[in-house]
Amino acid sequence: MAMAAPIPMPTDPALTLHSWLSPAFPTGAFSWSHGLETLIAEGTITNADGLEQWLAGLLRYGSARSDAILLARTMEGEDVADLAAALAPSRERYTETMEQGAAFARTINATQPFTISEAAYPVAVGRAAMAAGMAPAMVLPLYLQAVIANLIHAGIRLIPLGQTDGQRILTALQPLCSDIAAEAETAPLDEIGTAMVLTDIASARHEALYSRIFRS
Amino acid sequence: MQRARGAAAARFALKSGRTRIADLSQSGSAKAMLPSVYGTMPHLVFVNTAGGITGGDRFDWTVEAGDGTAITATTQTAERLYRARQADLPGEVHTTLRVGTGARLDWVPQETILFEHSALSRRMTAHMAEDATLTVLEPIVIGRRAMGEHVARAAFRDTWHIHRGGRLVYADALRLPPEMRALDLPGALDGSRAFASLVHIAPDAETRVEGMRGLLDAPGVIGGVSGWNGMMAFRLVGETAQALRAALIPLLTHLRGEALPRVWHM
Repeated sequence: MAMAAPIPMPTDPALTLHSWLSPAFPTGAFSWSHGLETLIAEGTITNADGLEQWLAGLLRYGSARSDAILLARTMEGEDVADLAAALAPSRERYTETMEQGAAFARTINATQPFTISEAAYPVAVGRAAMAAGMAPAMVLPLYLQAVIANLIHAGIRLIPLGQTDGQRILTALQPLCSDIAAEAETAPLDEIGTAMVLTDIASARHEALYSRIFRS
Repeated sequence: MQRARGAAAARFALKSGRTRIADLSQSGSAKAMLPSVYGTMPHLVFVNTAGGITGGDRFDWTVEAGDGTAITATTQTAERLYRARQADLPGEVHTTLRVGTGARLDWVPQETILFEHSALSRRMTAHMAEDATLTVLEPIVIGRRAMGEHVARAAFRDTWHIHRGGRLVYADALRLPPEMRALDLPGALDGSRAFASLVHIAPDAETRVEGMRGLLDAPGVIGGVSGWNGMMAFRLVGETAQALRAALIPLLTHLRGEALPRVWHM
């Protein structure tokens, strides 16, 4: 009896997405704190409660929400690469999003059957997700959770907190990740904006911070 | 109720080596003045004769600094944002800045003061030549505490787009939450209600960052400055509007290399 040629099995897009947004995907995410290192060094955030409030602020009123909108519009084919780069409020935040986006694109291009061009991180993720035919409703909440989880990990190292505290914060913020993702899915670019002024200031002050573990 | 409308535009050009007004237009509740100054740069002062902005109002301010010119533009007083009726659309302010080759434009308006239930959507769009110099400031005060003003709810957006050599290089989008108490979150305003954004784009902007940090160590103020891609961006948060202003005046004087227009001190 002749052996049938193996039929390539299509990969479940959920598995692909999880791998792209996992801490093991080599974007260097672990080296960026988004200004958190300064907020902790200057005593603004001192415990798990403060960290959770700050992250909720990023989701509701800050860069996490804006980035989700940039990602969503990218997945619809809008070119927001210049806008995403121009929105950086400081040198380190600019480098944070551009270097992660570049590293993300390089790994995608080395492993996927399609290629994307380098851009700020949410734009690069949006381009890859669009090329892979993923649904925005699947991508956006997981993207937000990955960004928040990475910053929780930074908080665990810096405050410091226990791993269980970190998971407690993530669990508490998961509904918000879903809410903001749903909002971002349809929000026009005009809806982008931040009220996290002291977070921008913290990222600028990080440049002059005496002792630094993180690159932002 | 009649809604306020105003538009003022000024274009400057180089004549015999000096910056001169070339075109000036004004309509509705917008006026533009050119007070006589002894410095090197003409000062342009915009006036909102309606005395503030409420829902449905629309103002357009335009400044064009032609090739080789140097202009400082500001507002006569703080801009007050008054209560808008719920049915109203937010007030709108559109600021358009053009800066030609080798030109310099300093857009340094005074504070925007939000009152309870005010609603404003403001846009600043700038187009500058590669070698031009542009400075843009917006100080924002959410209720003056010293005047007993408390703002619980307001709608405020301020969007900046700066294009250099035809390309978007700097964008800022402030979007305050409808409930101002959300600004008490750590990393937002942490209880303060006065803050300012300032950006300076010039060929030598990045080299000036280190010299600016010390000027941010002012009493009652926390600030940051950063430089990248030929730009220098500041944000400052003040415990009070007065503390913010007291920090901004020396900072802008140093940054600009000359005093602010006289209206800042009246």
